[in-house]
Amino acid sequence: MPDRLSYDAIVVGGGPAGTAAALVMARGGLSVIQIERGRFAGAKNIFGGVFYTHALADVLPDYWERKPPFERPVTEQGYWMLSPDSALRIMHKSEQYRQEPAGAYTVLRARFDPWFAAQAVEAGALLITRTTVTRLLKDARGFVIGVDTDRPDGQVYAPIVIIAEGVNNLLTRQAGLIASDLPPRYVALSVKEYLSMPPKELQARFGLAGPREGVAIDIFGDATLGLPGTAFLYTDQAGISIGVGMLLEEFVCHRLRPYDVLARFKNHPVIRPYLEGSESREYGAHLIPEMGYDRMPRLAGNGVMVAGDAAGMVDALHREGTNLAIIAGKAAAETALAAHEQGDFSAAFLSRYRRDLEASFVLKDMKQYRHMTDFLDSTPGFMGTYANLLNDAALRYFTAHGIPKRSMEREIVSLLRERRSFTGIAWDMLKLMRAMRG
Amino acid sequence: MHAIVAIKQVPDTSNVRIDPETGTLIREGVPAIINPYDIHAVEAAVQLKEQFGGRVTVITMGPPKAAEALIECIEQGADRAILLTDRKFGGADTLATSYVLAHAIEALNAEWPADIILFGKQAIDGDTAQVGPGVAVRLQIPLITYAIAIESFDPVARTAVVHRRIEQGVEVLQTRLPVLLTVEKEIAPVRRAPLPRMITAARYQPEVWTAETPVAFDPRQIGLKGSPTVVGKAYTPAPRAGGAIVTVADCGVEAAVARALEVMGILDTVRSSVAASAGVEVA
Repeated sequence: MPDRLSYDAIVVGGGPAGTAAALVMARGGLSVIQIERGRFAGAKNIFGGVFYTHALADVLPDYWERKPPFERPVTEQGYWMLSPDSALRIMHKSEQYRQEPAGAYTVLRARFDPWFAAQAVEAGALLITRTTVTRLLKDARGFVIGVDTDRPDGQVYAPIVIIAEGVNNLLTRQAGLIASDLPPRYVALSVKEYLSMPPKELQARFGLAGPREGVAIDIFGDATLGLPGTAFLYTDQAGISIGVGMLLEEFVCHRLRPYDVLARFKNHPVIRPYLEGSESREYGAHLIPEMGYDRMPRLAGNGVMVAGDAAGMVDALHREGTNLAIIAGKAAAETALAAHEQGDFSAAFLSRYRRDLEASFVLKDMKQYRHMTDFLDSTPGFMGTYANLLNDAALRYFTAHGIPKRSMEREIVSLLRERRSFTGIAWDMLKLMRAMRG
Repeated sequence: MHAIVAIKQVPDTSNVRIDPETGTLIREGVPAIINPYDIHAVEAAVQLKEQFGGRVTVITMGPPKAAEALIECIEQGADRAILLTDRKFGGADTLATSYVLAHAIEALNAEWPADIILFGKQAIDGDTAQVGPGVAVRLQIPLITYAIAIESFDPVARTAVVHRRIEQGVEVLQTRLPVLLTVEKEIAPVRRAPLPRMITAARYQPEVWTAETPVAFDPRQIGLKGSPTVVGKAYTPAPRAGGAIVTVADCGVEAAVARALEVMGILDTVRSSVAASAGVEVA
């Protein structure tokens, strides 16, 4: 076939994993076609959250000169534990965070992803948008040799395909890298709103000195009705990203509607004043794979590798994912470059990709927290019980009752025992430590 | 066969909101799209090319960002795209815009005379529907507005039969070529672009024409200077108050008319004379 479309590599997806892969391969001299189904890279994304720059520096050392569309550096971060009417806040603010380029920025991915994709295009990758890859093309040996798309004459060929399709892992399944769709127990649903607010007002409310300061808060307890999950509140340049994430299974089991959970959270007496007068600009929901280390797909097959959300590369505990995706996309690209050098696209050769990730923080962290989801699952009251406990204890500690402090301390202790026995607490902590240690 | 299509990049007005204080469009964060009628004009031109061979040239006047819309036309099958962009073109009304487009088309005609020139029936941001007709007048060629079908097209005999929508139905017109059409969406359904076209377009760079080169435009006829239109005031009309319903069966036609005139505050004399002739007492 003289006029069939052939490239050195095909990347499916215009998110951080796909773009990092396309960028590194294009810089390495391969002809790369990157296919994205949205109107532009990032169009299918509602992410408004914290972005860690170390991964970006790894693939784009001069990223700062290229003016990435960051919202605000994260100069203050921490946790709020909510009971129904109170919040115990542990926040960390430091001059160390103020040096730019900072280690973490709030980012709206609908703005960030097009910028990142443009860097790959500048490096020589060909980005095709508004085009959906419908299936993988395989040869007689079962090697992946290309993809078909939803366009006329839509077949395109390459000896290597990097799947970075995101959480809806249709191609990963088709490649035989994972057996089935993710069960609701291992997928979180995050429902999120972007609220706009004039920067001056935003800065006054959150105690920020100017546009080069920002806050990232993770919120537990009553935000998710005490169920396993987290809520978040991040300051953007001229607005707030606010949302709630819980395992899909929790929504199903407790018959909760995601938008009700978010509305309830926004209406919490501690949260509401921060949002007043803001204008809702974007509302959406997105799935997050939280399958954990033990249920990840195989990362490579004959002629194919998978990276990012499609591979379950998420560290839910530290709200990391985008950086894992970038590192994984880069590692897959480096393996693709080596495969081209050797002329070997077999699963055996491509397994190098997994070995590289095992050596990096990506799979080390995932391995360490492999039991986290199961821990929360087996300790369903964990978040709610302790968030309420801490708030009740704080209330007694900070209130002058005209009673001796000794009785106040006893009251707190008995409060603890009412809610959870000492052995129960010890057991929870032991389990938590085990889950954290991996 | 040479077809020239003039297009415009517009804000996606289905997403646009009006600032309640200033009464102007809030364009911030609103995605820019190709004017929805224009892409059908491109498709009609591409179908003529498929039938008769030749070339489809697309032109637009706008900011550098308008190149995106031209690239979408290349995806749909256009061969060549020209972006007329220059600060000096800025602030143009329909008069200045039609001058620039007509002058550019004349330059293109010198290379390869166009058999047909296509526009969308109107742009969804301004809704004037004036630029296409303005260009036809300047080029002194036949104009057919609201075209919905090209029944026949003969580049050798230099005639075409075109259907156009009118209020009472459809008008079927025979015209000589070259002709300028402004088209409705029915002129040609837009097909999904094949992948090889997407790849061609992703690598395509539109030609950029400025106010001086490669064609010199008359500086007095372009941009703000060439635009006599003045926008006196833009405002959102106040919502109308609800009307009153008068049931004719209850009070008869004359009384109903009288009530209607009363509600509308029509002249007293009319009201009293109607009332008098109808024998209705006016409260």
